[in-house]
Amino acid sequence: MSRDRFTYIVGGKAGEGIKKAGSSAANFFASMGRHVFQMDDYPSLIRGGHNFVAVTTATREITSHFMKADLVVGLDKRSHETHRDHVAEGGVVVYNSDVVESGQGIGVAMSTEAQKYPNPGLRIGVSGAAALSAVIGLSADEMAAFITREYKRDLENNIPFATDIYRAVAEKAGGKFPLGDGDRERAMMTGNQAIALGVAAAGLDVYLAYPMTPATTILHYLAAHDQELGVVTMQPESEIAVINIALGSAAAGARTAVGTSGGGFALMEEAISLAGMAEVPILAILSARSGPSTGVPTYTEQGDLRFALSPGHGEFARIVASPGTVREAYGLAAELLELAWRFQSPAVLLTEKHLSESRMTLDLDVEDAAWAEPAMHDGGGYKRYADMEDGVSPLLFPPSDELIQWTSYEHDELGITTEDAAAIARMHDKRQRKTETVLEHLRTMKTVNRFGQGKATIFTYGSTTMSVLEALRVSDIEATVVQPVYLKPFPVWELEEYRDANPIVIEQSAAGQFESLLAEKARIDAGAHIRRYDGRPFEPEELAREIERVAQ
Amino acid sequence: MPDELATYAENTWCAGCGNFAILNAMKDVVGKLEERGVGKERVVMTAGIGCHAKIFDYLALSGFYSLHGRSMATAQGIKLANPDLKVVGFCGDGDAFAEGIAHMMYAAKRNSDITIVVHDNGVYALTTGQRGPTSAHGFKGPSTPRGNTEDPFNPLVLMLEAGATFVARGYVVMVGELTDLIVAGMMHEGFSFIQVLQPSVTFTNRYAEYNEMVERLEKPASTLDEALALARETDRLPAGIFYQTEKPSNERALYGDWNPVTNHPPRAKRLAKVKELIG
Repeated sequence: MSRDRFTYIVGGKAGEGIKKAGSSAANFFASMGRHVFQMDDYPSLIRGGHNFVAVTTATREITSHFMKADLVVGLDKRSHETHRDHVAEGGVVVYNSDVVESGQGIGVAMSTEAQKYPNPGLRIGVSGAAALSAVIGLSADEMAAFITREYKRDLENNIPFATDIYRAVAEKAGGKFPLGDGDRERAMMTGNQAIALGVAAAGLDVYLAYPMTPATTILHYLAAHDQELGVVTMQPESEIAVINIALGSAAAGARTAVGTSGGGFALMEEAISLAGMAEVPILAILSARSGPSTGVPTYTEQGDLRFALSPGHGEFARIVASPGTVREAYGLAAELLELAWRFQSPAVLLTEKHLSESRMTLDLDVEDAAWAEPAMHDGGGYKRYADMEDGVSPLLFPPSDELIQWTSYEHDELGITTEDAAAIARMHDKRQRKTETVLEHLRTMKTVNRFGQGKATIFTYGSTTMSVLEALRVSDIEATVVQPVYLKPFPVWELEEYRDANPIVIEQSAAGQFESLLAEKARIDAGAHIRRYDGRPFEPEELAREIERVAQ
Repeated sequence: MPDELATYAENTWCAGCGNFAILNAMKDVVGKLEERGVGKERVVMTAGIGCHAKIFDYLALSGFYSLHGRSMATAQGIKLANPDLKVVGFCGDGDAFAEGIAHMMYAAKRNSDITIVVHDNGVYALTTGQRGPTSAHGFKGPSTPRGNTEDPFNPLVLMLEAGATFVARGYVVMVGELTDLIVAGMMHEGFSFIQVLQPSVTFTNRYAEYNEMVERLEKPASTLDEALALARETDRLPAGIFYQTEKPSNERALYGDWNPVTNHPPRAKRLAKVKELIG
């Protein structure tokens, strides 16, 4: 039985190497030139619990994992019980017969085999690669090469252990799902890696963050590559410290970004307002998780949309955009850093756990990134807040013989505090003109993505875009998908043609924040909506059925 | 000769306010730094919010008039971005030891190469006289009409314990000494903390008491324990450098001789690195 699309689910306890089992499979598929989407599902703990990774691969473009798997490998009892029903028709289930009494599928004594080697608890995850190799018809040598490339260490134990598991699975289901090669090998990365590389490509100098899932791996990635890239990273004492250090850094001339999730972003708000008043270029990455409050730290949701649109008190220009795919995250992160510097304003890249931490193959043109280059003062007496026609005052950084004063207070052009009525109104006018300038600039940019063509119109945004596109690929639904990338200013000028479209609005929010935003800003009333808010991303086949249901 | 460090902002401090002395000291500091090869163009200031912070409007130096409690975070950011700059952060006692105490402790802990001057008047003057983190037990203000129920922090002890590598106390009546302390703090590589006893003539007029208690400290303590003992003295108030030690600054420890601003790469170079990483 050969099929183009193949899904592999591997589950077990945290600490058993589940992420590694998933990512090594994803790497292997990518090395075959295939497209890959990898979704990690894990609880907020270090040991125990239940982790699983779903990896789907195809020879055509793919933007979601699937939850009906051709191969399900459960390393513990709970994984087997949780995922045995996730097997697709004709699929293979492999379970650990040492911990499951009457399993369904191919039982392999994984624990007993692991006991023959040192560190059995750590080794058991290698079973995944072994079972996968058997099912997709690799020879024992090819499997050994796969394990050598992915696991690198302790091969003298890993390979014999894997060979034992491989033989047991191959006996019953060897070569059941042979996979064809794809057209060419692509880069593969998570959304957070794409964001990190995107801001680096735009000229980032300094990145600051306090650990908070699901944004943390941006800090990890940049910290791991700081010297190669020439990006300084630092983990200060709190998100309040992060953003205030960041504003000082930007005011001294360094392209600076911060990253966090909802709770941390809430702590940053006072200083986002400061960035509005002092006109400091700053990019904040807000990767949402299931909320409110601490919520469900390692799961996904789009519940922070309205929050992201108006951070900080007071009136000032805010720029907010959300990438629909990992590929788009790269260019958008660069573009937002550029806009922050062009307009000396706070910009927010809003994303979600599902994009931040999912990993996929992509065709990336590294050059396709903006470069953050501000308009600099060029001679004459300097005024930090010079009252320019477009509201954008040129920048200058110390050391300089000119006086450069940034301030949180209302101020005159030089930056000296004022309480004068006319001066207050004048500076408000200047900032309002800048807000208009931002809007005019956005009108010249691509702010909305459209996919496909069909009778039905679907509106979605952010990481849900990936789920919607995959749902359409696996069904016969013909629809036009509209994805506003920019959310503030909201690109209403691009959406007038959909005023009477009564679209299906699909989002991961219980309250329907995106749906209400469409109605409020673009006067587009939803004909129907599909919402998911249980922390899990949409599953494409389920979503396709939902779309079919509401489209009728 | 016109005062090159003055601005046109109207000064609104109370007559006799200790802040005038700090402003005058700072003007002398700029001259003395120039004598040591640090030009005015490289001196950058930050301020928090409160009476102390008005110094930002009165002093013609570049910088960032920050938020309440964040002056020291902003200052660290400026230094992180461009370590060639000399950064002095002004704070009130409320900035430093209430709203921004975590930033103070961490700036000291990581030895960020900035100088923090705390205008310690023991009161929230600009908001009309509430108790602050260094107000005495029993202090009566509009928010504590029956007296402050909390004991004050000892700023010097906190900063010594947190790891500050330069800790000093000045007094606004001793302007010459204060000038020298700030110069020494700014020339010190690492986190410099200077508590300035700065009475508020309106709310905490302690000039007479300080004139009795403040004594010139001739030389720094040779050990941290000795410095802590000096800092804990209550029957007299030594003024001078309590403690100074050498340790790599945060910036040097993080990136050595790198400078994020001056080493900002050309686009082609950065994109080549990004390409390498993607592989």
